[in-house]
Amino acid sequence: MSRSTAFQFRAGSSFFHHLDPLTKLVWLLAISFLAFGAYIAWVQAVITIAVLFTAFVLARLSFTTVFRSTWLFAVACLSFLVIQTLTLPGSHVAFRVFGYPIYAESADYALASALRIYTIILSSLVFVRTTDPRELAIALVTQMKVPYRIAYAFFIALRIIPTIEEEIKLIRAAQSVRGVVRERSVAGRISETKRYAMPLLVGSLRKASMMVMSMEARAFGAYPQRTFVDAPRISASGIAVCTVMLALVITWYTALALGYVHSFYVLSA
Amino acid sequence: MALVVADDPTVAASRGTQATAVLPATAQDTQSPAQARCPSDLAIDIRNVSYAYEGETEDVLRNVSLAVREGEFVLILGPSGCGKSTLLQLLNGTIPHTLKGRLEGDASVCGKAVLATKIASFATEVGMVFQDPDAQIINTRVRDEVCFGLENLCRPAAEIVERQREALDFVGMDGFGDRSIFDLSGGQKQRVSIAAVLAARPRLLVLDEPTANLDPAGMAEIFAVLERLNREAGTTIVMVEHRVDELADRVSRVLMMDRGCIVFDGTPREAFSQRRSAHSEENAVVPASAWFPQACEFALALGDRLGIPVDAASMPLDVDEAVAFAAHWLDAPGATTPPPAAPSSRSSAADRPAFLRVHELSFGYEKNQPILSEISFSLGRGEMIALCGRNGSGKTTLARLLMHINAPAHGMIWLDNKDVADLGAREISAEIGYVFQNPDHQFVTDRVWDEIAYGLKVRNYADNAIEERVGEVLDIVDLKRYRDRSPFSLSLGERRRLSVATMLVLEPHLLVLDEPTIGQDHERARQLMGLMARLRERYRTTVLMITHDVRLVAEWADRALVISGGRLLFDGIPAAMFANDRLIADAGLLTPPIYEISKALAAKYPDSPLQPTLSLHELADSIGHIGARTA
Repeated sequence: MSRSTAFQFRAGSSFFHHLDPLTKLVWLLAISFLAFGAYIAWVQAVITIAVLFTAFVLARLSFTTVFRSTWLFAVACLSFLVIQTLTLPGSHVAFRVFGYPIYAESADYALASALRIYTIILSSLVFVRTTDPRELAIALVTQMKVPYRIAYAFFIALRIIPTIEEEIKLIRAAQSVRGVVRERSVAGRISETKRYAMPLLVGSLRKASMMVMSMEARAFGAYPQRTFVDAPRISASGIAVCTVMLALVITWYTALALGYVHSFYVLSA
Repeated sequence: MALVVADDPTVAASRGTQATAVLPATAQDTQSPAQARCPSDLAIDIRNVSYAYEGETEDVLRNVSLAVREGEFVLILGPSGCGKSTLLQLLNGTIPHTLKGRLEGDASVCGKAVLATKIASFATEVGMVFQDPDAQIINTRVRDEVCFGLENLCRPAAEIVERQREALDFVGMDGFGDRSIFDLSGGQKQRVSIAAVLAARPRLLVLDEPTANLDPAGMAEIFAVLERLNREAGTTIVMVEHRVDELADRVSRVLMMDRGCIVFDGTPREAFSQRRSAHSEENAVVPASAWFPQACEFALALGDRLGIPVDAASMPLDVDEAVAFAAHWLDAPGATTPPPAAPSSRSSAADRPAFLRVHELSFGYEKNQPILSEISFSLGRGEMIALCGRNGSGKTTLARLLMHINAPAHGMIWLDNKDVADLGAREISAEIGYVFQNPDHQFVTDRVWDEIAYGLKVRNYADNAIEERVGEVLDIVDLKRYRDRSPFSLSLGERRRLSVATMLVLEPHLLVLDEPTIGQDHERARQLMGLMARLRERYRTTVLMITHDVRLVAEWADRALVISGGRLLFDGIPAAMFANDRLIADAGLLTPPIYEISKALAAKYPDSPLQPTLSLHELADSIGHIGARTA
């Protein structure tokens, strides 16, 4: 009935949708490693562009989706950029704004940090939107040998988050018609939380015990192993993606270690 | 998620050793003396079972004995808290293995002793379907849900895929395998839940109010599947349900429970030819709380008018039988034309001044997906209105717009000539009370008295005024004895009355009730609606009921609004709504049996003044008048 959350899996037929969950996990981790390994603006910009390309072309997310899901983070990154640029120390004045000096080092560092945060948010969005949590759970069991009870616990937790969100909205609406007004003060917020907690707890416990009964009645947990019909398998393109990403990470960190590149902006002059 | 594991030593021993094997081929570890004595065609054999939940002293089941043969279709009726769900949980070992407690007596199901058999061993014998589809469906894709049980049983993938296809096909959902659970209707979700247990080919299917959350169309889908399963596949079915009209002619046996005991056990005809009694200490007495099919209520009422007891053999269970039953008297020699039926006492909406006006209301969360489009109507003082439509048709959204919980995209709502958008939450809630479907959601304090006083306190009423009004309302809803209890400790019926009371205390002009009769037994539903009728008399309160319950509409509403696809399709008296076949089909509604019976009789006797009616007593009176002369 209500608007669904942006950071939620949606079925699709893009290249990324067809990749197995572990390959996408490798991709996500590699992007994070690269982003954290580089404090230079142009390198971060390249990574951001690569992730944007992945989002729009390889995962076929619409511009609206990406904008809607990340604009709040983008605004935060932008303010981060402005504050850091103005406050970080530097030695080379790049230009002046109303007579105030802007240093090249601080501007570069600030841009790199802002882009890094945005890249990580964006790559997480790509991962979450294209990966079915159930497939991820199965991949953890079949490919990573995680015990299936743990993987299912993880999957069910993800599965019931939207249900709990809905329930909270419902409780809020139900209590608002009692004349409960949303509180602003800290004490008010605490008593508000207490009011929500009881109905939410009662409802969740009832649902959880129903789930347990439904699972046990269908022999969940009866054996140490279980069959997985359509367990995801790594494909040739998955192997290619993993290889490229691993190669990039190894190359970048080796170059850093050997001093060919620097993690900070270094002025040549 | 903590899964409680069966603590039986034989279970623990068998667990680790059967890693990849299919279910134990022999039930050796589960054999018991009970099995040796039970005839092979008994699906359920329960002897002198008593049970109390862990930490409780009072028994929920008291000395229950029950034998169900293979192929039976058993309906269990009884008031909330009578132990019917507990009895179902015994049937696959959830009691005592997951829900521990004190269990006495012998119970064996499909030849396996419940006490000595792990729940997983019942997975291929007993299928369990519960009330709430959202809580029992574990996976997000239809196919995965249906495969889930067999995957847990370590069956080979090829077999699982084949069984999954068969099960979905059986419930009429062939081709839905790749769909997301979130995109299905309530009826479709429940059919998936049934398919999910059918895949393991159980001999016994156990269902706990599977249609409580469904609209009439969804309910009909489920009952059709169950009937086919019972007739064609010979599956034994044991089901708890309140909706007896559609089930009476499908089931082979009816059990009635009260306070932990089985108080009646017999055929549907026997069950519904009994008189309801408030006391059920002795056996073979039907509790007052039981819902009766309308066809039976009609026959009993007609029998009363004629002064003739209706025996089990002649008790009609469905519309056709009821028509034949009435025709027997109408065709009798000497039958004369009955006098014209007295006009219904319900007044129409037209003569009442409007106090709430809704003008061209539209709403949607997404721009191109309107949930409501251009809805216009007005409500007068003292009306009792039913708001009908399929699940997801926009009924609840409309009610929320009235309360301004959501703001409409277009259109206006005027409350006593004031625009609702200009009023604050407290001003609106003083005028409109909204009783949510789940009363728990609305409780904001720890004590019944405080709960009712809350609305007055936030509006700064004087202490003595609060004391007086809360006392008065506690009397009206009959909860005075619980004034110091926690709202969450009350029974469902009491919680619902409390939630009505919290709204009542503010003396609102309009009360909105979301599905007031769901999961309620006959007596409680009558009590609640009786309360509404009294409010209307006393305060001229307008009551708007969001409901799927066509009997509720027929018996209590004097006006019906029908929403389908976000549009208002109908606004008029219930009789006119039920007379419109196309509307009924479009809105996924059913007609109440009494309407069908009277319509069929009116068609069969065109010269008589018999007319389609929603009043059982009106019809019984008209026919009884002739019958009395010929009897």
